[in-house]
Amino acid sequence: MVKRYGDFTAVDDVSLRVEAGDFFGFLGPNGAGKTTTISAIVGLARITSGSIEVFGYDNATQWREARRFIGLAPQEYNFDRYLSIRDVLIYQAGYYGLAPRLVRERADELLEQFGLERHAKLEYTKLSGGMKRRLTLARALVHDPKILILDEPTAGVDVELRLELWALLRRLNAEGMTIFLTTHYLEEAEALCRNIGIIRAGRLVALEPTRDLLARAGRGLQDIFLELTRA
Amino acid sequence: MIARINHVAMLTLIRREMVRSIKIINQVIWPPIITTLLYVFVFGMALGSRIKQVQGVSYSEFLIPGLIMLQVIDSSYGECSSSVFQGRFMNSIQEMLIAPMSAGEIVFGYVLGSLVRALVIANIIMVLGVIFVHTLPRDWVLYFGVMTLVAVLFSALGVIFGLLAEKFDHIAVLTTFAITPLVFVGGVFTSAQLLPPFLRNFELFNPMFYTIDAFRYSYTGQSYLPLWFSLTVIGALAAASLATALRMAAVGYKLRT
Repeated sequence: MVKRYGDFTAVDDVSLRVEAGDFFGFLGPNGAGKTTTISAIVGLARITSGSIEVFGYDNATQWREARRFIGLAPQEYNFDRYLSIRDVLIYQAGYYGLAPRLVRERADELLEQFGLERHAKLEYTKLSGGMKRRLTLARALVHDPKILILDEPTAGVDVELRLELWALLRRLNAEGMTIFLTTHYLEEAEALCRNIGIIRAGRLVALEPTRDLLARAGRGLQDIFLELTRA
Repeated sequence: MIARINHVAMLTLIRREMVRSIKIINQVIWPPIITTLLYVFVFGMALGSRIKQVQGVSYSEFLIPGLIMLQVIDSSYGECSSSVFQGRFMNSIQEMLIAPMSAGEIVFGYVLGSLVRALVIANIIMVLGVIFVHTLPRDWVLYFGVMTLVAVLFSALGVIFGLLAEKFDHIAVLTTFAITPLVFVGGVFTSAQLLPPFLRNFELFNPMFYTIDAFRYSYTGQSYLPLWFSLTVIGALAAASLATALRMAAVGYKLRT
């Protein structure tokens, strides 16, 4: 795919395939094109050329089917401030075409799973940063997607919550969910991801299994990352 | 297999707009009602008692349909534009943009949500008219028909300006410099027959005049312009406004990069 904003090329001929069930890490420095790539996958950005398929569905021509498979946990908190936390989940499912009576139980399950059940009637502005992060994940999962796209999911959270989220992501992946993760924490990618892509100035500079990448260089991911992204 | 129209999503957005209205009831519901009561008491009852009849009815009776239109226009545009703009500003509109919702479902969700809100406000004022002025619409089909067309017209304008605006201030531009002045000179408080000739001619270029004149017909059975002509003008404006809003949403104007 290529994505240009005027004369600026944000994503330059990036081609990659994430297999179903993979735990894929998409790394790169700030402004490299990670969020633009994610925005293109979920339909928030329209690509200049190329194509994106989600489980066989073209996300431009078969967008209804493609979007149904995707759960997005964005980096910024973008909850509806007029809704309670429980309703954030129920209304999000509604936008996916799931009637409230079908998702109330699912919403309550997720609230319990993420330790938010005591705050179900509150507005999100009353939550701590860590709780907002959990709510972001719960919302991404409410319609039972097949691929979870996470944009810096552990940015700004404490160590305890980070480990908790890691465990949750591992479990979801073990249950068959495909995970597409962007992160600035290289140890996070090293610990979680089976495959890694590294993007620099809109171009893909590495795409291989984490194990191979580490073995090939014989160094830590941080050194490899710095070498590839500074070149 | 996913339905061709995601009606659940559209209903969810309409419900969300209702929840928003209830959460900010002091901003959305009470002000138009209190303002209307003040207009009825001060203009209708106090000053109006000195006016014998307008278009064959008492001044208070003449005033009620104009006041309903004033609030329908104001709430449809104001609430729809601020809801869309707030969604963009807070990025919460992305909840819909990443979901399997078409541009049409999003626009109709906002417009229908706004229509329901306008109907609630209008009917509360209608009931106040029954209580304080003892006046009721004579033609209910026209009453609801004109109200629906006008609410759709101004809600769609609300979507358009909610998308165009870069800051909250921009939303107020249309209200301050077009809607409010045009509504006030468009026949809410006075009949076109009482205006000087040059202003009477100006009214033909004032879209608010058509809405108020046609809506007043549902109460008084009289209008300044032929009813069919006013309905055609309102219908054409509503269709153009809705088509523009749909087009802007379809191309992702200020929604998708």
